Amino acid sequence: MTAAVLFQWMLASLPEIIVITGACILLILGQLVRREQLLFWASVAVVLIAALATFLLAGEVRPAYSGMFVADRFAVFFKFVFYLATVLTFLLSRKYADIEGIGSSEYYVMLLFALSGMMIMASATDLLSIYVGLELMVLCTYVLTGFLRHERRSNEAALKYVILGAVSTGIFLYGVSLVYGLTGTTQLDAMAAAVSGDPLDPGLLLAVVFIVAGLVFKVGAVPFHMWVPDVYEGAPTTVTAFMSVGPKAAGFAVILRVFLNPLVAASDVWIIVAVIAVVTAALGSFVALVQDNFKRLLAYSSIAHAGFATFGVVAGGVDGVASVMLYLLIYAFMNLGIFGAVIMMRSGDFSGEVIEDYAGFAKAHPGLALLMLIYLFSLAGIPPTAGFFAKFYVLTALVERGFVFLAVVAVLLSAVAAYFYIRIVMVIYMREPERAFEPALTPFVRATLACTAAGTIGIGLFPEWFLRLAQHSAFGG
Amino acid sequence: MTFPLLSLIVFLPAAGAAVLMCLRNDDAVRWTALGFTVADLALAVAMLAAFDTTTHEMQFTERHPWVPAIGITYALGVDGISALFVFLTALLGWICVLASWVAIDRKVKEFMVALLSMQTLMLGVFSALDLFLFYVCWEAMLIPMYLIIGVWGGDGRVYAAFKFFLYTLAGSLLFLIGVIVLYFHGGRTFDILALSAQDLPFDVQAWLFFAFLIAFAVKVPMVPVHTWLPDAHVQAPTAGSIILAGVLLKMGAYGFLRFSLPMLPEASVYYSTLMLALSALAIVYGGLLALAQDDLKKLVAYSSISHMGFVTMGIFALNLRGLEGGILQMFNHGVTTGALFLFVGVIYERTHTRSIANYGGLMKVAPVYTGFLALFTLSSMALPGTNSFVGELLVLSGSFAANMAVGTAAVLGALLSAAYLLGMYRKVALGPASVGTRYQIRDVNGREIAAIVPLAVFVLWVGLYPKPFLNVIDASVKHLLTEVQGQESGQ
Repeated sequence: MTAAVLFQWMLASLPEIIVITGACILLILGQLVRREQLLFWASVAVVLIAALATFLLAGEVRPAYSGMFVADRFAVFFKFVFYLATVLTFLLSRKYADIEGIGSSEYYVMLLFALSGMMIMASATDLLSIYVGLELMVLCTYVLTGFLRHERRSNEAALKYVILGAVSTGIFLYGVSLVYGLTGTTQLDAMAAAVSGDPLDPGLLLAVVFIVAGLVFKVGAVPFHMWVPDVYEGAPTTVTAFMSVGPKAAGFAVILRVFLNPLVAASDVWIIVAVIAVVTAALGSFVALVQDNFKRLLAYSSIAHAGFATFGVVAGGVDGVASVMLYLLIYAFMNLGIFGAVIMMRSGDFSGEVIEDYAGFAKAHPGLALLMLIYLFSLAGIPPTAGFFAKFYVLTALVERGFVFLAVVAVLLSAVAAYFYIRIVMVIYMREPERAFEPALTPFVRATLACTAAGTIGIGLFPEWFLRLAQHSAFGG
Repeated sequence: MTFPLLSLIVFLPAAGAAVLMCLRNDDAVRWTALGFTVADLALAVAMLAAFDTTTHEMQFTERHPWVPAIGITYALGVDGISALFVFLTALLGWICVLASWVAIDRKVKEFMVALLSMQTLMLGVFSALDLFLFYVCWEAMLIPMYLIIGVWGGDGRVYAAFKFFLYTLAGSLLFLIGVIVLYFHGGRTFDILALSAQDLPFDVQAWLFFAFLIAFAVKVPMVPVHTWLPDAHVQAPTAGSIILAGVLLKMGAYGFLRFSLPMLPEASVYYSTLMLALSALAIVYGGLLALAQDDLKKLVAYSSISHMGFVTMGIFALNLRGLEGGILQMFNHGVTTGALFLFVGVIYERTHTRSIANYGGLMKVAPVYTGFLALFTLSSMALPGTNSFVGELLVLSGSFAANMAVGTAAVLGALLSAAYLLGMYRKVALGPASVGTRYQIRDVNGREIAAIVPLAVFVLWVGLYPKPFLNVIDASVKHLLTEVQGQESGQ
């Protein structure tokens, strides 16, 4: 290996290097300086510098580390979703962290490390580098989940998450070892060659099932969804917001890479994905109907959305991949928006976690209520919001591939899901207020809400640019 | 580039809504809303005046790329059929503002914003030439309407709003799948005119016909998916009821005219008997239900189901008289039933009861009110000289030509409507003046007369001289008919 090659490799992974180095420096800095303001701005700066680097390097495809890693348009797209999620989480955290007393430097450092893990996942082209990224990400989220040290709920959630997460990682690794044993490689491209040759080896099929199980856990799809509501409820709300968007998108990035490259030939596996999509969307939608806790409801809603995005995976092809990518981008905007609204309600001794807490919210704060209305209708997929376009494009991809029946199922389930979103709108608009509201509205929270609202409405009205970007970034496009 | 008249008509109310957001004073809000809706009506009249009735071609068309990546355009245009409904929507728009003038006394600004956004979306539906644009407007209407019913409605408003939302959403989502299937079968375009020119295989048409039918039948509403309508009507504020009856119900029928007939002609012909039977069922069943009501609003709501049955019957008679009658009847129903809901609202504001049993002898205390009410009641039961007579006669003659049995059922429905409407009028207006002793009732004031008179003018105008109205739709209906029959003979 020459210095020039090494330089090229480092250049390809420059954004990851920036984030990891920045996180390490911040970790040390946090022990020396006690000024939170500084740490906060420094963490935001790290992400922005990484984003700039990603943008500057986005021009060409850069494979690196002997086929373990690639910086291509697909990865760049996902990295920007991650940056968006992380920066908005930082902005939302500032005040919330003060209220909860979790605003230490580790909090930001953990988020940065999780970000680097997700970035590695998006770029990984080898089962081992996928594993490294995955573990880096989930280890940080384990810790973040338990960040409310004095709350039992938070501790319990973290414990549950660690144990179940470890099991799923074990399953995933077992699948990886089987693949290595059978094909002699862990690289996705080489696997593709092995798979597309003969009819699928039953051992390989088993390996695929294990890998699927490991990945499905990370996006919270059925049957590995059980941890989601508890963890979402127990974690600090800002962390929940982050987890529902960032790691989920990272999980889908890997699923798309694994499935639509090497395993596209293994059509036997396809039916598994279709079944997962249907069952996930159904379970998420139906169970959400009976939730009273807002965070639990959003947890089930995120399961339902994972199911819907999986429909895009089932569709496959350029449009299928692009539809999943666009879906995740739009989901990042609308979900961070609605979580921003929940986080804003946390002020004083009031948690704002129960749906009933929002009764008559529209009377006290018509502007904020309107924002929530926009996010909720977007999550429900009603035009002219972005959520509608996201669903529309997934359905288009499904019908294009001839899965009309699946499209009908998806659409009916989204009608079920609409029920619980408009139920919240009902509580906000059609009930009398029971208490005075004093939302913790800092300029940062305002900025987040403005940004997410702009995304939710803007992509809904003018989807062209984002659609082209997703199609352009999807591999094969 | 030509003057974007249609875009202006469609987006003027939305611009008004944006202006309203900046206002603080309730009266300023009301007057501004009125100003924008009147201006919109003026533009709609200008459009009708410039409308060329000799051609079926789309007029005032505008086309701009919107999402070219998947072939979505921002395309507007009107033919005779849509022009009539653009006008009807604009006509009812300012009447809705007047009807809510004092009835809405809290969150006036929010209400008017919802009302005006609603108007933009309805106008968008009637003038869209792109399926995607059509669907966006069609579906987005759920948001303001849900709020109008749910926030400003009666005691059972939340339930009614939910029911309305979920019924229409579930219906429209299958329509969405239909739209996407059509997109792929029709050469990857959402252009309504291009899709109408396609010749799809019959089995595809049949599937699409039912996907569309569910969405449109819920909106019309046809029996048996009509149950959301009485709830929504009864709970909605007056303006909401006027919009629902006047415009929203027309969208289902408009969908049949704009999509089902031209795009799926063979399936439309094949299933026309089924549609005629469903229409006859709606006419008779709706009439019977109306006969049994004590609540004024419910009575008018069920009568709407019956009257919309005439509309769908006329459409699926698939002959010239039936179609022209059906379309004219859509317009008439908008005017007449809109007015009836306005009347119910006027009296409800004074007495806070809608139970017919509580009224009686209204004529003595409110002569002007009952005089106008008589006109609209007679119009609703299609007395000669009023608008509905012309429409109903055309529908009946068209449906007898298509199918003797359903024509007979329709006549029975017309008889029923005379029974419940005359009964209603007798109980409310005639007899001893019991109502005057129980409630302090003032006759209609200037603002209410301003809202009622234009509708009364249309009742008589269409009733006595329907030619200009039929002229507007004539060329488009004839073209539609050739599209259906041309395809039919071509198989």
